[in-house]
Amino acid sequence: MSHTGGRLSEFDRLITAVRRAAWAISLSLLATAGDALAAGGKPATKLVNVADTRNLSGLVKWIADVYNANLWLYAVVVVVSMALLGLVLGTLFDRAMGMLGIHLGRLEHHE
Amino acid sequence: MDFWHVYLPIAGMHFNVLLLLLIGFTVGVCGGFFGIGGAWIVTPALNIFGFPMPYAIGTDLAHMGGKSIVSTIRHGKFGNVDVRLGVAMIIGTTSGMELGARLVMRLERMGLAESVIRKLYIAFLGLIGTYVLYDYLSYRRRQRRTAAVDAATAGPPSETFAQRLQRIKIPPMIHFKASGFTCSAWLPILVGLVTGIVASVLGVGGGFIRMPSLIYLIGCPTLVAVGTDLFEVMITGAYGAFTYAVKGRVELIAAVWMLLGAAVGAQMGTVAVKYIRGYSIRLLFSITIYIACASVIMKQLDMTKASSILILTAGIAISSVIIGILVRGALQERAARKEM
Repeated sequence: MSHTGGRLSEFDRLITAVRRAAWAISLSLLATAGDALAAGGKPATKLVNVADTRNLSGLVKWIADVYNANLWLYAVVVVVSMALLGLVLGTLFDRAMGMLGIHLGRLEHHE
Repeated sequence: MDFWHVYLPIAGMHFNVLLLLLIGFTVGVCGGFFGIGGAWIVTPALNIFGFPMPYAIGTDLAHMGGKSIVSTIRHGKFGNVDVRLGVAMIIGTTSGMELGARLVMRLERMGLAESVIRKLYIAFLGLIGTYVLYDYLSYRRRQRRTAAVDAATAGPPSETFAQRLQRIKIPPMIHFKASGFTCSAWLPILVGLVTGIVASVLGVGGGFIRMPSLIYLIGCPTLVAVGTDLFEVMITGAYGAFTYAVKGRVELIAAVWMLLGAAVGAQMGTVAVKYIRGYSIRLLFSITIYIACASVIMKQLDMTKASSILILTAGIAISSVIIGILVRGALQERAARKEM
């Protein structure tokens, strides 16, 4: 019976967590909805097909130049940079998580 | 507050970095936990804050590829990624997506695409959400019954639909080690094909459909379904990003900022699965699907802005619950270790 009790309490905890999160988010959204919507800036009115590079410098200018010059190369840059960044960040945060002192080995698959 | 605004040269606009980090983080947590790409959160969230829609889709796909790598690395170490199964599914999914795209073009020629697709989407989400919830409730009823009667008189559990499909012996038969079963290679290929067609017709990434399909049609444990689906999202996300980038519709600077937030979120969402049972993931998943379904109904009723706010709010709420599960579980584990 205690086994079932354990499952029930897990379910109850889940429901309590859902309820608390819903309250917290609703209150914070009510308080900040106006500011948050304004934070995104004015909606873009047109699609820019040529990037304006006049006030840019460094890496951002290089990206915009590639975009303007060759879209195929730009597509390769997008995929490679996302993959590399994902790999680096994944490895980095994986190590950081390991430093929290929790077991991060293989899991048993409990349903 | 200008300090937090960056210029996005390709979309041709200024955007708040904190918003990009928040959106990325939210979708990272949900994606890592449920094994989905999360386009249903990112696209409306970016769009509501002024991001043009074509750039929102392309930028989402670009960061999705990177974020899924983060989750797949961790799920892989947990033993939740079945690479063979993922590859078989990808073969089916890509073929299915191509067939689905042709079906959409035919519907467009008949002038039915817009209305038919959205109604199909609503019906599909409602159906999946209801089935997953029904399955969860049946499981709980079974658990109560097993606890009430003697385990010896309860009898063996009845065969699932997926187990019946696994018994169909059409060569080549393949053993899927991480999933723990052997079945015909055609089963995941066909399931991938069908889910690919449905995803393509509905114009979505397909995580919502694939994750439950991996559980209920192929017979994967929930955690393997989550990890394997993310493996697939990683490949399809990269492919989608490439096609959108060739059309000039990816804002790389925004994608990088979003990926920074998503990488932290994905790591947290993925580790959170350690502290929860598979069926509890299914319960949260069904709630998430109902919310997505409600947002599509609101769009159908021309309440686009309210629909986007609902999605963003729900995304933040669900990721808060997941982080709560992670923090509580990690604290309990550390306390238990100190006692030993």
